[in-house]
Amino acid sequence: MSLRVTPRVPSRPAPRRARRLAAPLLCAATVVLAMAGVGCGRPFRIATAPGFVELDGQSATGYDYRATSPEGVVMAVKVLEDEDRAELGFWTKSIVLQMRDVSGYAHLATVDVTSLDGTPGKRMEFAHDEDGKPYLYWVTVFAAQGKLFIAEAGAPKPLFERNRASVEWTMKSLKVKCDTLVSPVLASRTCHRW
Amino acid sequence: MRTRRTTLCLIVLGALACLQGCGMASAESAPAMAPMAPAKSSAGAAVTHEELAQADAPAPPPPPPGEARPGPAKKEAPRAGEPERAAGDGKAEVAREHLIVYTATITMAVYQVQPNLALVERIAKESGGYLSLRSDNQITVRIPRAKFDAALGAIEKIGDVLHRDVSAEDVTDQYVDLEIRIKNARAMQTRLKQLLEKAAVKEAIEIEKELARVTQELELLEGKLKLLSDKIAYSTITVVFAARGSALQSASRVRLPFPWLQQLGLVNLLQLQEERTR
Repeated sequence: MSLRVTPRVPSRPAPRRARRLAAPLLCAATVVLAMAGVGCGRPFRIATAPGFVELDGQSATGYDYRATSPEGVVMAVKVLEDEDRAELGFWTKSIVLQMRDVSGYAHLATVDVTSLDGTPGKRMEFAHDEDGKPYLYWVTVFAAQGKLFIAEAGAPKPLFERNRASVEWTMKSLKVKCDTLVSPVLASRTCHRW
Repeated sequence: MRTRRTTLCLIVLGALACLQGCGMASAESAPAMAPMAPAKSSAGAAVTHEELAQADAPAPPPPPPGEARPGPAKKEAPRAGEPERAAGDGKAEVAREHLIVYTATITMAVYQVQPNLALVERIAKESGGYLSLRSDNQITVRIPRAKFDAALGAIEKIGDVLHRDVSAEDVTDQYVDLEIRIKNARAMQTRLKQLLEKAAVKEAIEIEKELARVTQELELLEGKLKLLSDKIAYSTITVVFAARGSALQSASRVRLPFPWLQQLGLVNLLQLQEERTR
């Protein structure tokens, strides 16, 4: 029995042509992925509470997110782009004036809240009679990354009070700031596209 | 020298006579202003200041919130243990208060309207007042003016007040004018009755016509005085459950040009769109 020793052959370097092709392909793939990220999804994250269902096809109504319980407690979020002209206090005051003076809603309270990512916001609690029945209506507003995030919740008063914990849970799950590693790289336009 | 003294005496006497005349004129022209009470006299009879003063008049109302009552010093109801001033006291005559009609209109947010309407009515009744008008989203109550301030405060606590309008109208001149016209009409009526007793048939027809006209005018004036007395004795509070509306709002402040603000509300939120079939 003889032992054969194969001499060690150094691996052949990849041809230059192939390397030249790989680099643009990688770039293109990255760009495509980034653009896909920009094109779909929404600039916030929210978790739908158990007992609620997120609704599809609600964008035509101006909402970016909408969920409902079987009884009709509705929660929604809409994003207003480029609304960094004023700070949170301005929008809070504007909403209260609009709801009270123009729409005749009773303003019950304004509460300081914080989103899941730590962004400070304001929750305005209103009440109004619809067809002679009392309803509760909450508007929560966050200002982040040049956008305004408006989260709404409403239902007949007894129903709302029964589902208050679920509404609060959903609202607390809202994230309005990007927390991924790519955010500093992809700048503000892509930062909030999950 | 004697002529000078006489002239001086005459001047002094003349001045005194003038002063007395002025005083009398003012005493006659400024009738007694007693706190008003609801007209409780017999139907059709005018309520004079004296009658009102004798009636169980409510205490003068507190001034409307945030403002002092204009006019001369108020005649306050005597406190327990404090002797009441003599009716003939000249200072008391001067210190008669102004007659003021208080009216308040409160606009409240549209929330729990029916229970709140009932609550407003209850507050009015508990204050000794009464319901004047009630509709689906509006209520008008009359409150004794002494309890106007307290009742208004209680009503404002029941909901979110969007707007508040309190007015105080001084009707002293109007009241005094009516009283004088009634007094004159009565005098004329009495005189005509006296003439009628002595008149011949032809004259009697003319006098009766005039008497009928004067009596009609007297009834009209008495009715007006009764109404005015009621307005003074009972303040009016109207509560409206409604949005102030864009017209009123635009008068008070600039309408913000953000369309999304107008889209906020339960109507849009609760109107769910059909999902596409999967």
